[in-house]
Amino acid sequence: MNLELQAQVSAFVLRTAVLVDGDELETWLDCFHENSSYMVVPRENLEAGYGIGLMRCDSKAQLQDRVAVLRHASKFNPHWDRHILSGTAITSAPQDGVVSTSTAFMVVQTQLNGTSSLFCSGSYEDEIEVGAEPRLRKRLVVLDTFTVSNCLATPL
Amino acid sequence: MPSPISPEIWPARDYSRVPYRLYHDAALYEEEQKKIFRGPVWFVLGFEAEVPNVGDYRATQIGDTPVVFSRNEDGTVRAFVNRCAHRGAEVVRYPSGNAKDFTCIYHAWCYKLDGDLVGVPFRRGANGAGGMPKEFNLKDHNLTKIRVRIWKGIVFGTYAAEGEVEDLETYLGPLMCEHVGDLMRKPIKILGYQRQRVAANWKLYHENIRDAYHGSLLHEFNRTFGMSRLTQVAGGYMDDKHRHSILFQYAGSDSDEVARAAYAENGVQRGDYMTLNDYGITRHFVENKLGISTRIISVFPNIFFHQIYNTLAMRQLRTLGPGEFELVWTLFGYEDDTPELTQHRLNQANMVGPAGLISMEDGEALEMVQRSTQPDTDKAGVVEMGGIGEIRSLDTRAQEVTIRGFWAYYSQLMGLEPAGAQR
Repeated sequence: MNLELQAQVSAFVLRTAVLVDGDELETWLDCFHENSSYMVVPRENLEAGYGIGLMRCDSKAQLQDRVAVLRHASKFNPHWDRHILSGTAITSAPQDGVVSTSTAFMVVQTQLNGTSSLFCSGSYEDEIEVGAEPRLRKRLVVLDTFTVSNCLATPL
Repeated sequence: MPSPISPEIWPARDYSRVPYRLYHDAALYEEEQKKIFRGPVWFVLGFEAEVPNVGDYRATQIGDTPVVFSRNEDGTVRAFVNRCAHRGAEVVRYPSGNAKDFTCIYHAWCYKLDGDLVGVPFRRGANGAGGMPKEFNLKDHNLTKIRVRIWKGIVFGTYAAEGEVEDLETYLGPLMCEHVGDLMRKPIKILGYQRQRVAANWKLYHENIRDAYHGSLLHEFNRTFGMSRLTQVAGGYMDDKHRHSILFQYAGSDSDEVARAAYAENGVQRGDYMTLNDYGITRHFVENKLGISTRIISVFPNIFFHQIYNTLAMRQLRTLGPGEFELVWTLFGYEDDTPELTQHRLNQANMVGPAGLISMEDGEALEMVQRSTQPDTDKAGVVEMGGIGEIRSLDTRAQEVTIRGFWAYYSQLMGLEPAGAQR
């Protein structure tokens, strides 16, 4: 195993989750390559081969719009998220500086009344451009919890 | 336990007051399951396109009852309650698939695709002992069947016998036949599902769907980008019985300038209007000959259709007790869509569903209502926008008369209509 590569992608994936939990979504956007996609797809669609996602950003511009709409126009349950990650498994050897990884996650959501519950579980299927400053080329969020409690406002 | 609710519950005979108790009463919920979801209605199970081949099946839920529909050997679509006639276990365990028959895992009772019981293991006993009584007849123990009618690719079902419910076209009426018929004018292609669970009473979603007033106030994206604004040419129509409804509008029938002035004047807009990097999501390729940009349709009792620009979906409501429901959105396009149009529909689906830029707010709004009305079930909400008294279709979105229409029909079905009520 390439320990250096493993350490790099693990730290990077963890950082993306910590930024979401910290509501630093504008900085989170910097984790994405200029040519990248971000999709949250219910597991039932993935298994059936259906293209519909809950969030489907084919470009970074669309992902930036998602964050902008969230900041300016969306109303939803105010909450805090905590991503609990598994280790990050490298699923393919680096090719042209890009590795594929898989990381399981759970998100515990806390409401304003102080109660917490498991909001969802799933996995990040990532393509990461490795190097001094890693960037996501692609993040597919597979949502095992494909029936959403109330709404999915903040990205996963 | 009989419901303590009687026609006297209504503070106003025009349904301009909605008692909070209707969202919380457990006995009323049980009655609704019988009188509405198993009553003289046509509910929707799904689309024919979801079960194209013999043996294809899909599990769903009508009210709170698990139901399966499947493609029978003779090519017809059949439906039955998903409960083994023996001990009551669910016979079908996967949400969808293809089967040769349906066999319960508990004691391996086997049913044909149409729900007929064909196999009972050890019916004659083992080693000459035990077994079913001689008079046991397989025919008496089929799965509970649901009468099915296909209309334009939609699988409708009813528990009511012929004569106990109108025929399907009469039930739908000209308004639904026109608009749902237009959405289903050619073969559809399923694009996928979105699901959400909302901790609120199912009737709050019916009210929300018929609430023309909130569309651009709660959903700021709508008014910012002109998908839906109170300043547009729009309306809320119902059939004669107020059983079904449609809210519609024409994007582009107002100007940004006029709209923004109107919202500012009403104290709604604070701060600057946002902009987007990619306006592809807000693009509308007009597909219907009426030129309508958005249609939100309620087909009583369990289905909503929408056309929001180029996203097309059927939303199925499944009740999960008085305080929760699930909404399953089936998004679709047409078989003859170009790859570009399919891509556009997938992209535009960002606007809808539980993460939708113009729909994520609804779940939260309804959960808030459910929470805060619970302690004061003797109080009532106010529904006066668009006028009180007569219940009628209006050519404006600044109204909620369509909500009163829902309660008028609901009360008739439930036997809760007050003396001298508006219909």
